[in-house]
Amino acid sequence: MTARITIAQLYAELLGVTGDRGNVEVLRTRAERAGLSADVVLVDVGQDLPDADIVVIGNGPLSAMRGIVDDLRRHTTPLAAHIAAGRGLLAIGGGAELLGGEISLSTGGTLAGLGTLPFRTERRAQRRVGYLVADAAGMRLVGFEDHSSLWHLDDGIAPFALVAEGKGTSDLADGARGEGVRSGNAIALRMQGPVLPLNPALADLLLARAAAEHDVAYSSGDAHADLDAFAREARAAIEARARSKTYSTIGI
Amino acid sequence: MSDGRTGFARLRYVPAVLAGKLARVATRLRGGGSAFPGYLTNKLAPSLLPDIARGFPLGVVFVLGSNGKTTTTHMVSEVLRAHGLTVFTNPTGANLPQGITSALLADGTITGRVRADVAVLEVDEAFAADLADILSPSVVLSLNVQVDQLYRFFETERVADMMLDTSTRATGGVIVNRDDPYLSKIDPATLKAPVTYFGVAPEILNRSAHGLANAMDTRSGVAGTEGLEAQAEVVEIAGNTVTVDLEGERAVVKTPARGLHYAADAAAALATARQVLGDAFRLDAAARGFAAMKPAYGRGELLPLRAEGDEQVEFVMFKNGPSLQLNLDALDTAPERLLLAIDEGTPDVSWLYDVDFDAFDHVDVITGDKAYQLATRIAYAGIPIGVVEPDMEKAVALMRAFPRTAEGRQTWFVNYELMMIGRRLLGHGDQEVARR
Ligand SMILES: [Zn+2]
Repeated sequence: MTARITIAQLYAELLGVTGDRGNVEVLRTRAERAGLSADVVLVDVGQDLPDADIVVIGNGPLSAMRGIVDDLRRHTTPLAAHIAAGRGLLAIGGGAELLGGEISLSTGGTLAGLGTLPFRTERRAQRRVGYLVADAAGMRLVGFEDHSSLWHLDDGIAPFALVAEGKGTSDLADGARGEGVRSGNAIALRMQGPVLPLNPALADLLLARAAAEHDVAYSSGDAHADLDAFAREARAAIEARARSKTYSTIGI
Repeated sequence: MSDGRTGFARLRYVPAVLAGKLARVATRLRGGGSAFPGYLTNKLAPSLLPDIARGFPLGVVFVLGSNGKTTTTHMVSEVLRAHGLTVFTNPTGANLPQGITSALLADGTITGRVRADVAVLEVDEAFAADLADILSPSVVLSLNVQVDQLYRFFETERVADMMLDTSTRATGGVIVNRDDPYLSKIDPATLKAPVTYFGVAPEILNRSAHGLANAMDTRSGVAGTEGLEAQAEVVEIAGNTVTVDLEGERAVVKTPARGLHYAADAAAALATARQVLGDAFRLDAAARGFAAMKPAYGRGELLPLRAEGDEQVEFVMFKNGPSLQLNLDALDTAPERLLLAIDEGTPDVSWLYDVDFDAFDHVDVITGDKAYQLATRIAYAGIPIGVVEPDMEKAVALMRAFPRTAEGRQTWFVNYELMMIGRRLLGHGDQEVARR
């Protein structure tokens, strides 16, 4: 029996300015190479949320976030149910911040998020740009960050990952730093754009959960070996670069 | 037309200009950059630059845009030269204020005069409005707004605003892209000068794979453009021969390389030259100007692959997703022998996943610091990869070791930094010089 996994990408144009469709492409490709079939559904303004195994929402400018937030609000209840059921969700950048609580802007004023994820955002003047390396449970995340956001996590909520190199989203005690937040299998990050190609373990976590929902097993193997070999080398190059004394985040 | 100051009054600039010129020589001897001399002169004589700018009888032209500034500046300059004008232009890439100042000083007399009829300047968007307050451009051309350098500009609409804001300073004419979502929404009521639109005929855009890849407008409620009339419109493209309709007159010109973006740049350049020249504009001279263009680095340039033999390398430079996509769309067939190269000169490569690589059927060698990030992307696109070799020198050796291609030409898609390194490895490491 083949399982059909449904991946829904919200606002692929307006909230997809940093290669966010790459995350969808990775989920689809890896599912198919594991012998599962995958449907990608693009959900735009005015459209209904399908019964999806994995929801993906990406990054966009503030104007786009303002433009879609009222439409996104229609999905508050189904998205909360999706997360409560333990289904997978990957939210990046601006899209992630809309799923949190209030967003306070560096220019004054606020934008009200949906409150489905346990944090609120403070947009600051200072920009954080460069490679980011962070450790989540059993998983080292490697990627790029480019934002001015500080995420204030709700009481009792820990960040998804602890920053090893780079800045991340949250200040922790003793100068430590955190990146992102996780609620069930919903993962929100500022590590931006195509996070999944460089972090196949994170893609596999979402796919394994989706497959289990259909009573099938997902595992990556020989069919993923070439993809994962390239990703491994790319990750090693980024980690070496991020650790090197001469590397500093991009000056602007 | 006036000089602005008498020859006698200009003598007060001599110390500042001399200091700048001396600093320039010193900087050259050190092999350093060219910013310091301009800075020095600016400090010593703040009214010098406005004065130099006023000295160009046909004024100053600013060329702005996320993509195509260098090429279009070159096109405008050559078309004006073909009309018999002497043109001052800044060297490729020297588009920041100090670079422009240094270039003006290098060409100037010691009393701070630049003997040219017109200045055509490629200007970095971030500094364009401030520089416009100093140089008072008569014409401001804005080519396009693309998702580019978000690590620097944060949000694409800010880049649009920089261009629109600079346009309000133009005294003679504002030229904008009718097919760019943000630029096409320019409000003529905010301007001192009339607006001229350039564009590509809708039929041509519709049959292209990805159009012009300009940024979507995320703020006005109208994501696309509003179907305005263009006074300079590309109506036919055949290889690198482009026909532009200029309100009934047809210019037929040859662009330095193939691709929809070069055609759009050509329409922009013709509209701009026509604005500068007025009734003196001639179609035949315009065509001669385009024919005189030598390919710039990385834009259709061919270099020998080896010391022996006749095989060549075609460099195709990209700086962001849109420029890579347009260059891919311009390919007739998948390259027979292909090198892809990208390094840390391109900090954020998220956009690799917004590019459709279907125009390739394989890649022979992927190189640069970010070779494996690029390889991961190409692998997810399902395109076979020969070798990944992050070291550019070794990658060039690999490319040279291949048997000769049937078409006698390899294709190297490179970012700017690796284009310069690749040129040097092929024995053409001369610095990119002024477009004279
Ligand atoms: Zn080949």
